This record gives sequence, C-alpha cells and structure tokens, in this order.
Amino acid sequence: MDYRRDIPLVITFLIGVIAVMDYYTTFTSVKDVFTIIKNWGIVLEAFALGLGAVNLFRVHGRRISQRSTDWIFSALLLFMLVLFVVVGLGTGQYEAGTQYQWIYNSFFLPIGSTMYSSLAFYMAFGAYRVLRARNLDAFLLFVTAIFVILGNTPIFPATAPQFFYIREWIFTAIVGGTYRGIRIGVGIGAVVIGIRTLIGMETGYLGRR
Amino acid sequence: MSVLEKLTAIPREIVIGLVVIAMIIPTLNPLGLPIMTGQMAKDWYNAVEELPAGSVVLFDIGYGSGGYPSLGPANIAVFHQFFDKELKVIIMATALEGSMMYPLIMDAVNPETRHGAVYGEDYVFLGYIAGVQTAMAGVLGDLPAIVSTDYLGTPIGQIEVLNGIRGAQDIDVVGYLTTAGGTSEGWVYQAYSAYGLPVLGGFLSMMTTSMKPYYDTGQLIGVIDGVKGAADMEYLTGYPGDAIQSSDVLSFSQTLVVIFIIVGNISYWGSRGARKEGE
Amino acid sequence: MVATDPQIWIAAFLTIAATSFVFRDNFAFKISQYTFIGVAAGHALVMGVKNIRDYGWTKLAGGEVIYAVVFLLGIMLYFRFSKEYYWLYRYPIAFLVGNGVGISIRAGIHSDFTLQVAATAAPLLASDAMGTFNNLVIFIGCITALTHFVFTYEGIHKGTLGYVPKVGRWMMLMAFGASFGNTVMTRFGMYQGRILFLLREWLQIV
Repeated sequence: MDYRRDIPLVITFLIGVIAVMDYYTTFTSVKDVFTIIKNWGIVLEAFALGLGAVNLFRVHGRRISQRSTDWIFSALLLFMLVLFVVVGLGTGQYEAGTQYQWIYNSFFLPIGSTMYSSLAFYMAFGAYRVLRARNLDAFLLFVTAIFVILGNTPIFPATAPQFFYIREWIFTAIVGGTYRGIRIGVGIGAVVIGIRTLIGMETGYLGRR
Repeated sequence: MSVLEKLTAIPREIVIGLVVIAMIIPTLNPLGLPIMTGQMAKDWYNAVEELPAGSVVLFDIGYGSGGYPSLGPANIAVFHQFFDKELKVIIMATALEGSMMYPLIMDAVNPETRHGAVYGEDYVFLGYIAGVQTAMAGVLGDLPAIVSTDYLGTPIGQIEVLNGIRGAQDIDVVGYLTTAGGTSEGWVYQAYSAYGLPVLGGFLSMMTTSMKPYYDTGQLIGVIDGVKGAADMEYLTGYPGDAIQSSDVLSFSQTLVVIFIIVGNISYWGSRGARKEGE
Repeated sequence: MVATDPQIWIAAFLTIAATSFVFRDNFAFKISQYTFIGVAAGHALVMGVKNIRDYGWTKLAGGEVIYAVVFLLGIMLYFRFSKEYYWLYRYPIAFLVGNGVGISIRAGIHSDFTLQVAATAAPLLASDAMGTFNNLVIFIGCITALTHFVFTYEGIHKGTLGYVPKVGRWMMLMAFGASFGNTVMTRFGMYQGRILFLLREWLQIV
C-alpha cells in the first residue's frame, strides 16, 4: 500500500460514505460521527482560507525581491493584505471592528462591486459586435434574448404589458422545460463523478504524483 | 466605407460612452415607471406573509461586494418584511464577505428603531461559517454542536432567540440571497432535500434559468431574481429603495443594448447584401 | 455638494479606476486590480483565523483534545507548497473532498433527478388550454434536451429520429438566449449600483 496515495483515497471513501449514510439512515451513532466530521470540516475549510495569502506572499515576494516588472504593484498588493490582517487581527474584533469595516467599505466593497459589474460594458459591446442572426440556431437565441431583454426593461411592459407576459411565458415554458432536462443531466453527471471520486477512480484532487 | 459598413464598426469607446450616458441620465431624472411584479417574487412575499408571528427563519447572507448592488436592496426589503411580521430571524453567512454585508444591511433596515426588534431576542447574527454545504448541514443538523457564539462572541446559551433551537426541526423556513451557484443548490439539497424545509431562494438574474427547475418542482417556494426581483420585493413590501430606482435606469440602458443589437444586425446583413450585389 | 468623507473619495477613485479597464489597461486600473487581490486574500485570512478560533480553538481549549488532530490536519494543508513533503497535503484534502462530495451527492439524486423526473411525468392536461400547452412545451423541452446529450447510441442523431435532439438543441438555444437576456440585466443592474453611489454619495447630485 502506498501511504502517500492509498490512505488519502481510503479517507475520502470513509468520510464520504458516512456523509451519505447520515442522509439515508437514522442510526444515532452515524449522526454523531457525522456531526464531528462537520465540525472538523468547518475548521479545515477555515485553515484552507489562508492558502491564497501564503501563495501571494510567495509569488509577489519573489517579484519584489527580483525587482520584476510591476514589482511596485506587488508591494501594494502585499501591503493591502497585511493592512487587512493587522487591522482585523490586531484589534481582536476581527471583521466586527469599526476600523476593519472602514477599510472594507473603502477598498474592498467598491472594487468588488465594480469588477463584477463592469462586465456590463463588455456585454453591450459584445452583443453589438457578435450577436448576429446568421442562421436558424443564432436566430433562435437572438429572438429569445431580445424578448427577455424587452420584458425585463420596465419601459416596454409599461407601454404594452404583452412584453411582460411573453417574457414570463418564455421562462415558464421554454426555460422551465429545457433547464429541467439540463438539470437532470447535470445531476446524474455530478452523482456519477461523486461516486467515482469516492471509490478512487477520480484522483485529480490528490495533485501531482 | 459605406454607412452600413461604418455602422458595423462603431468604436468601443463610443458604445461604452453611450451606455454610461444611458445610465446617468435616468439616474438624474427618474421616470417613475410602474413595476409589474413577477410571480416568483410574489410567491416569496406571500409565503412570508402566511407565516405566523414568532416563526423561526434561518437566513443566509450568501453574497459579498459583487452581489451587493443587486441583492443588497433585496436583502433590505426582505428583512423589513421579516421584522414587520415579527418573525424570529437567525442570520448566518456562508459567503466570506457576508459578515461585512450584515452591518450595511442593518444600517438601512434599522430593526430596533423602525420595527422594535431587539438583537438577541428577535434576531441574531451567527457570522461567517466556513464550508458552505458543510456549514448548512452542520447548522441544520445540530446547531448548538456546531455554533458556540454569535458574531460578537456572545455564547449562544445567553441568546434568547436561540433558546430551544437545535436544528432543522425548530426552523420554519430557510431563506437565502447568494451569488454562488453552489450555495444556491446547497440550500436546496441540505434544507429541502434532507429535512423537507421550505426554502426561499434569492440569487442573481443570470442564475434564474438554472435554478428554475427547483422552483417548478416546489423545492423553492419563492424566488428573488436579481435586481428585478429586488424591485418587486421593494414594491410588495412597501419599502421602495435602490432597486426600484435602478429599474428606471435599466429601461434606458437595456433599450440601448437592444438598439445596438438591431443596428449591428441591420448593418451586417445590409453590408453583406451590398457586397453580394457588388460581386 | 461633493462628499468630504475620505472613505467616499477612496471608494469613488477605486470605482472609476476599476471601470477604466473597459477602455484600456492603465496605471489606475492596475492599482485597483492589485489592491483587490491583496484585500481579498487578507479578508479571507482574517475570516479563516476567526473561524479557526470559534470552531476549533474554543473546543480545543474547552478540553476536546481530539481537535489537536484537526489543527495538525489544517497545518498539513500548507505542505502544498513543499516539493519534498507535498504528499502530506493529501490527507486533509482527502477529508475535505470526501466530506464535500458525500454531502452534495447524497441529496443530488433526490433534488436533481427524482423530483425533476416526477414533475416531467405529471399529467399534461391542465385546467385551461394555456396550461396544457405550457405543460406540453415543458415536456418536449425536457425530453429533447436530454436526448441531445445521448452519445452512446449514435442512431438517435441520424435520420428521422435525429430531429428529436435537433429540437432539443433549438430549445436549449432559446433557453440560453433567455439566460443571456437575464445576464444583461444582472450586469447592468450591478453597475447601476455603482453609478448611484458615484452620483448620490460622492458627487451628491441625486
């Protein structure tokens, strides 16, 4: 037995089986063991949250020491990281502290909100340049997209309620039926991949040999 | 270059500039257009209206800064309704930034002043719990075994609203607002599938299509879909806010997108036809 | 008229800097980009430490000595960065993967398969004509979308039978068009929040 690969596979199997048994059986002993596993899982997930920070220190620390391109930005990155950690942990109040909330609302919130939403401009430009009804397939996508956009835009339903009802019908009938089929397929696929992972046929998560 | 060919090649800066203008003008001069509420938001609203006072709601703030512009207004409207109905609200966060959204939402809702709700007696915030579905399964399975303090470090034994709450059997409904598909599906799996709890789901509009099958099969009894759902909830609860204001703006910006799409297609087909004639 | 709170000014600068990328990459955008990565990692670290304290350390300090094993497993996660002892990382990862997979697949069969199939097998006839028509469209959409992904039997994609997955593809394209329409609203709704912030809280002209 290779203790570096086989024992982790056994751990995956045992933990996964206990989780599944907790759902399908009513044995108190299984539920008690699974409660312990859940507690441990929360703590381990919390430990995993630090991996990103450690990796950033490695990568950007190297860039700063080697004075690579944009090393000054790497220094800014690490400075902001350390600032949040010092303020969060230093005050003892973690994220509940007023100072931490101040720096979060100043730095994290505006950039976080903007980064995700600025895709709106790319969508607008992309829709203009790419969304062409070149063939039947593209035409079907194009037509439903237009009707849904018009139904979502309050000015059109306010003028003609039919836009709203068409949009509702598209979601009720077309989306409801098609995505049900997709959901069944995805669900079966997820369960199969899960079972393969538990029985050791999918070992990608173990990383390099 | 013919007019049609020029229309297929409008520079990016002009397109984006027009979009920004289309967003700014209605913000400065709102139209006040009526809201046509969707059935999914109505179902959420009605489900909460039917809950008797004192019912226990487990609510997950599953979004962060990215979802705050859309789901923040929805969260505010939802909490207004919860406190109006005098429900007992146990709030948790499965998103890393969820515990940073909590003070922003509570500043807007102001439960003590506007609803007479008292922290610890009527609502509590457990803070961020790592693990997403592990956290969900843990809280619903055996809350006191998983959680020992609230967000501020108060032992749960000293928190009145958590007295007698062992897990799913003591919770009447689960609600969440999230930007993550895993969280959204997770609550359906861990609350509805495992314990048969009714689930109210809120997420971004672009997630509505993939979550629709859960709503159609009754696994979600109500849905807030993004900014539109947020506007619906603000209208239904009678607490107008940023979502209704944003709806006006969407009228202009989305109409502009439709115009761009149509212009793009007309110019594409027109220039193609002109080229074929030339040949 | 304009805000005087430095927090608002910092937020406004970063909002405009982050947006400026849609025109071209620039110095201001780089500031916002690198700041974002740093603060995200810093915040994750703070929340991680808090969760370790609340869900691990309090139990260990309270006498549950077994939690020393959890702490050991947690530290083993960081051997991911070691070339020689990388294999130690696999033990806690195996725990997390087993837990995550077990928790999600156990209910997936019920939610994603059983209930969906049961809903599709429900009677097509409704109380009104529109309801019946909708049920028919839903049924056709579901079945044809599923057949589109059958690759083990090639005959399903050929001849007359080939129209079934073809209809499935058309239905899916219409559904994806609806998804695109909603995505447009999502993104515009999100950015509208930033416009409101800039005009209302920063420039105070709304």
